[in-house]
Amino acid sequence: MRSVTLTPFIAILLQAAYDPIREEIGRLRRNFQGLIWGFVAAWVILLLYTLMLTARERKIRREMERLKSMVEETEKK
Amino acid sequence: MRQKVMFVMLALAMILLVRNLYTISMLPDEVNQGQIFRIIFFHLPAAIAAMLGSAVALVASVMFLWKRNFKYDALAVAVTEVGLAFLAVNLVTGSIWAHVIWGVWWAWDPRLTSALICWILYAGYLILRQSLEEPTQRATFAAVYSIFAFTDVPIVYFSIRWWRTIHPQPVFFSKNGSFPPDWSRALLINMVAIFLLYALLTMVRLRQEQTQREIDYLRRTVHAI
Repeated sequence: MRSVTLTPFIAILLQAAYDPIREEIGRLRRNFQGLIWGFVAAWVILLLYTLMLTARERKIRREMERLKSMVEETEKK
Repeated sequence: MRQKVMFVMLALAMILLVRNLYTISMLPDEVNQGQIFRIIFFHLPAAIAAMLGSAVALVASVMFLWKRNFKYDALAVAVTEVGLAFLAVNLVTGSIWAHVIWGVWWAWDPRLTSALICWILYAGYLILRQSLEEPTQRATFAAVYSIFAFTDVPIVYFSIRWWRTIHPQPVFFSKNGSFPPDWSRALLINMVAIFLLYALLTMVRLRQEQTQREIDYLRRTVHAI
């Protein structure tokens, strides 16, 4: 008796689980998210590298100034 | 003057990329792949830029061994380092595409594996340079290593022709290519923009290498005094 009353519910649940439209929407969403992540990853890598270059530039300039002042001081002496 | 050229290059690259982003978003979806195919507009130019960079590094390394001029060594290290960043873009975007289309982040496919080996080889080039102190020895060893590392580049390029691979066959620069003209135009514009960015970053890195050489000279002067 119980199985007879549950059957329509199980059928509805199964139908909902295999809803092709919902599945297609999910596929499209994953597809779009992948695209966005791809673009973000590309830009993040280039941005990180640019930041690395900027940090190195700053370090090199500081070192250059320090050495120049050292040479000047040594020459004065 | 050099600074102005660099600013113009940056502005041009940004304008092209932003304008092209709109064009790319307006293109129709690819029948089998859907929206994710658009990743090719970054994936392919990054790969070509990195490969051209490694070719420049090869020529610069050969020139250094021949002429013993440090400007070639500086050029080799600049293009290699920037190329490594672009190859990373290529590998990461490819991996994201693979996750959507193949359902896995990575496959030990000839193209993917050879590209990863290429990245590791050029990363090894930079590590090798870090480990050597004496400039002439460093430049010589690095030049020889760079020539050796380049042997992997043709393998990466031809891997999809030589072996059975799950990587898509070329759709651009190929007789069997099926890229529609408006998609090709968008790809070419992105390629120009990415090449401009590559050249710009190389110029910055090259200037740093030249300044580093001046620093080394000043250090020696200070020690001599």
